[in-house]
Amino acid sequence: MISSDVIRGYNDTIILYFLLQGESYGYEISKNIKELSEEKYIMKETTLYSAFSRLENNGYIESFYGDETFGKRRTYYRITTSGIAYYKEKCEEWELTKVVISRFIKEWRE
Amino acid sequence: METIKTYLDNMFARLPRTAQIVELKNNILTNMEEKYLELKNQGKSENEAIGIVISEFGNIDELVSELGLNTENNETSARSISREEVNDYITFKKVTGIQIALGVFLCIMAPIVLILINALIDSEVLIAPESSGIIALFIIITIAVALLIKSGMSLERYKFIEEGVLLPYDLENELRQEYSKFMPTFNLNIVIGVCLILLSPISLFVTSQGDSLTNSLGLIVMLIIVDIAVVLFVLSGNQKESFDRLLKTGDYTPKKKADNKVIGAVASIVWPLAALIFLTLGFVFHLWYICWIVFPITGILFGMFSAAYSIMNDNSNNG
Repeated sequence: MISSDVIRGYNDTIILYFLLQGESYGYEISKNIKELSEEKYIMKETTLYSAFSRLENNGYIESFYGDETFGKRRTYYRITTSGIAYYKEKCEEWELTKVVISRFIKEWRE
Repeated sequence: METIKTYLDNMFARLPRTAQIVELKNNILTNMEEKYLELKNQGKSENEAIGIVISEFGNIDELVSELGLNTENNETSARSISREEVNDYITFKKVTGIQIALGVFLCIMAPIVLILINALIDSEVLIAPESSGIIALFIIITIAVALLIKSGMSLERYKFIEEGVLLPYDLENELRQEYSKFMPTFNLNIVIGVCLILLSPISLFVTSQGDSLTNSLGLIVMLIIVDIAVVLFVLSGNQKESFDRLLKTGDYTPKKKADNKVIGAVASIVWPLAALIFLTLGFVFHLWYICWIVFPITGILFGMFSAAYSIMNDNSNNG
């Protein structure tokens, strides 16, 4: 399991990745993260919804109501154009980060 | 499923209840419930499923800082209260309510006993020193005052509730339901009390043709009826107060609380003054048979004052 400290700067990127493939809602996204990371990363509820609220305030995603599921309206999210731009930026940043950090990583051979 | 809801209620108890937060909470609840149902479908036990869902909730402080909430500024410095505390408080209010009602009952009974003893002595039915009535009056008043002080002091324990507390959502909803169930009883009690008071002078008219002892008995019956009505008011009012205090409704909205401070200050001068006039008229002018009228008159005038004060304060706040 990855510690949430390491991944913090990329929670938004992870969520945007799924929204790029189409609109989605909280549980679906958190389930997808768990599956795609092969259960190595589980995003906590509070992390997920903090990210939604931050992304929405920055105009990177929009929320809307979907169909009712067991009596409750589900909130869906879709990515905006500025969200796509932000996602690209973050991808480039990650590439750079990866290159830089890996220079400080020593490979250990037993 | 209920466990998840309660857990979330407790987590959100100290956050302000804005539309944004309520919606956020509902979204998280839906999310958690879906996760729970899926875990159950995968064959997890009830406890396992709830355990996993709650362990994956995270940390409420993360949301608090993300939303830029300053929990100190949103009246959330008030402490939150548990179900046990609420139940204890309501039971406790019932007990002290009975004590207060008994105290008030005795306060009104004291002059009744005085009138009765004096009438019996005057009509030579009872052979006793003339001061017996007054002595009885003071003994009863002392017991009444002791009861009132005792109940007032034991209320100190729940001072934090009187200063305003935060109720978790589910408790608040339950209390609101109980409150609306209680209101018809409350209204009925008030109606019965008012009718009793309005009808009480009948006993005076019925006995007005008789001798002075019969007259006095008529007066006594009237006062006892009034006393019963007052006890009804105190008991049901006290029960309503415990709801109002917890739910911050009625007299206990923040604005009303400010009004009540001024009215309370005036009351602390007016009522002892009324008692002083009552005793002076009685002891100095020997007007025991009529001087009790001081109390209903003070009551009516004081009621008018506090109503007028609240209305004027409303106007100046709105204008």
